[in-house]
Amino acid sequence: MFAYALRRIVATIPVMAVVALFVFSLLYISPGDPAAVIAGDQATPEDVERIRASLGLDRPYLVRFGEWVWHIAQGDLGTSIFTNLPVSTMIAQRIEPTLSLMVITLILAVGIAVPMGVIAAWKQGTWIDRSVMGFAVLGFSVPVFVVGYLLAYVFALELDWLPVQGYTPFSRGIWPWFQNLILPAVALGGVYIALIARITRATMLEVLQQDYIRTARAKGVGQRGILFLHALKNAAVPIVTVIGIGVALLIGGAVVTESVFAIPGLGRLTVDAILRRDYPVIQGVILLFSFTYVLVNLVIDLLYTLFDPRIRY
Amino acid sequence: MLRRRDTFRGLVAAAAAPGLSSLAGPALPQGTAARTLRVVPQANLTSLDPVWTTAVVTRNHAYLVYDQICAVDSANTPRPQMAEGWDIANDGREWTFTLRSGLRFHDNEPVRSADCVASLKRWMVRDVFGQALAAQVDELSALDDRRFRFRLKKPFPFLALAIGKSQNPCFIMPERLASTDPFQQVRDATGSGPFRFLPGEWNPGQRAIWEKFNGYQPRQENPDGLAGGRMPRMDRVEWTIISDPATAASAMVNNEQDYWEYPLHDLLPLLRRSRDLVVEQRLLEGTYGVLRFNHLQPPFNNLAVRRAVAMAVDQRDYLRAVAGEDPKGWGVCEGVFTCGTSLASEQEDGILRTRSIEKARAALRESGYANEKVVLITPSDYPQINALSLVTADLMTRIGLNVEVVTADWGTVVQRRASREPVEKGGWSVVHTTSSGSDLGVPTTHLFLRANGPNAWFGWPQDDGIEALRAQWLDAADKAESKRIGAALNERAMEALPYIPLGFYWQPSAWRRNVTGVFRAPATVFWNIAKG
Repeated sequence: MFAYALRRIVATIPVMAVVALFVFSLLYISPGDPAAVIAGDQATPEDVERIRASLGLDRPYLVRFGEWVWHIAQGDLGTSIFTNLPVSTMIAQRIEPTLSLMVITLILAVGIAVPMGVIAAWKQGTWIDRSVMGFAVLGFSVPVFVVGYLLAYVFALELDWLPVQGYTPFSRGIWPWFQNLILPAVALGGVYIALIARITRATMLEVLQQDYIRTARAKGVGQRGILFLHALKNAAVPIVTVIGIGVALLIGGAVVTESVFAIPGLGRLTVDAILRRDYPVIQGVILLFSFTYVLVNLVIDLLYTLFDPRIRY
Repeated sequence: MLRRRDTFRGLVAAAAAPGLSSLAGPALPQGTAARTLRVVPQANLTSLDPVWTTAVVTRNHAYLVYDQICAVDSANTPRPQMAEGWDIANDGREWTFTLRSGLRFHDNEPVRSADCVASLKRWMVRDVFGQALAAQVDELSALDDRRFRFRLKKPFPFLALAIGKSQNPCFIMPERLASTDPFQQVRDATGSGPFRFLPGEWNPGQRAIWEKFNGYQPRQENPDGLAGGRMPRMDRVEWTIISDPATAASAMVNNEQDYWEYPLHDLLPLLRRSRDLVVEQRLLEGTYGVLRFNHLQPPFNNLAVRRAVAMAVDQRDYLRAVAGEDPKGWGVCEGVFTCGTSLASEQEDGILRTRSIEKARAALRESGYANEKVVLITPSDYPQINALSLVTADLMTRIGLNVEVVTADWGTVVQRRASREPVEKGGWSVVHTTSSGSDLGVPTTHLFLRANGPNAWFGWPQDDGIEALRAQWLDAADKAESKRIGAALNERAMEALPYIPLGFYWQPSAWRRNVTGVFRAPATVFWNIAKG
């Protein structure tokens, strides 16, 4: 398996190369000019040209792409056009809030959604099942920002239990850190919970029809044992797959959640950079997201072997 | 369509109502919070150099960090700031400035006249008023550590106004920084102003922090506009970037922030309902709307078509769209110069008083308009400019123009508006923008009154009459002549229509009731402000 993992990690290199080419080319052809944004309303076209030249944006595509790739190969993501800070520094400043938000959301979502799905499958056709499915439909249908605003209204403005916005670093204490993330994680987790709960229910229903479950029942295994030891373990592969795919959902959702709760994470960094056409930052963040996604998929693939001994790499 | 702003408006309304909002504890410890002014700025601070970029948020940062040789008061009159004063000699051709003694930069180096000369030279390359001044400068040199002198080719009575104006003035940096190419960004924000920037605390997109500069020597005068004493009364000023207006409103109501620079107009009634908040106009000048034609391409290379559009314009429609129904929030101003300033004039029978769709439609029929496509580009991420654009689109459609609205983000709009191509090749016909009234008070800083063709602001109008009057104004012998030329410029502009003025709206700010010392100024500044 180690060799397999190594092969997969090496295989990410061409994937990242394609992503890099795609991202760079897309930004190159997309409209927008950071020089015009920097120059502001008073600038003459000549001013804009001079700023563009000073930023090196007037050079040919291949020269710029070659230079960028050369720097990436050396581990240098470049420097922000606007802040003059290294992109790696800006990412480092923003990665903790996003990572914190995603981890808490993930724990919250898996912790709630898997039992919900299992119980819904067990109680198929009852009001419990219908309630879980109703919740899942709501989770899918209500936009993250609506949930976010409602939570902020109730728990911050009305009850005064939690802050409306902001982020406190982990280094300043667990409770201040956690306090700022509760509402965003719940808001962001809604869709994720819905997704995992539905897939868990569907897979569990399928597994619960299997012969070996009937056999286990005949042998006198209790309901809890059947559900969580026999059925859930066998239903785990598709669930884990969905959890992995859902990471992309989390990344997308984090953009909105971070805006609503003013969390200074990578999502907001991306949006701000896109609006300003801060190309090095956009490229750096997208590369990071892509790499994360590839890595998550690798971890998921490796997890399959834990849940299903028949799978061998 | 479900919109975020609408969703939260109702929720915040309820929370802002007296008695309903129990206030959350401040994010900072009590003692620190009392000495820190927590501000939601109007935008994200991404660059620190006020010469390199003209972004308003960078200018506001510059007012915290840097000082000025002179600064305008509430009547827009330049008064000494770092300067002790200045002498004018040789029939206005020599200006000698003397610095106050004891001025220091944040690195404790003394402020010298060489620093001022280097800062002035860098600023004159980039600023419009600075460029007009530079054209008249024979020599700018330091006489000693406290004195420097301008020697001019001909008298330039607006010299002090140029360097001390409120929008993009000349801020003084140490010579080592001011000698940077004006087209390269200065990364080090060392100034000699009342607050010191903390680069280690700067996280663009999250926060920016300044602390009181104990070595600052304010003038011993009350603040008046941007002039007078710049007394730092808070230990720290902390900007938190909250891009979502509804969240910013909640943070204000919930006592998580003290000051919100530019609340969205839609949210003002809600903020006013909170008894803990003050919502008032702080900026001295309103924000003016501008409708700009592309004069190079059909149909607006045809004066008759431009005039037809002007006949349909009713500024009140625009201003209601931006700032709401309350007429106290906006004002009609049907001339090219800022209303209430010395050059302001409006024509009783001017074209903007027509305000008739019917007459505009008839004028368009007579104009020779051949149903060419009109491409109106509008930024969806600038609510005010977008509102102005949508009113124009409706008005143009109603008078019979073939309008296509292209909505994009600001980054795309500013690129596309630089295109001089026909609309079929990615060009444009109409664009809108806004400008501070401070910039529209005199011809030199009035971008939209340049009519020098390819060198004019986007849209590139060409009108020799306007250009001649602009040049005459700079040479005006006295105030009466200045005013006469201003009126002639206004008249000529209303004939040639390089742009259509759309009136002005007020942009209030909001602060918590325990914030004291807030005064009106042409820019958002944070000296003299304390927390009670």
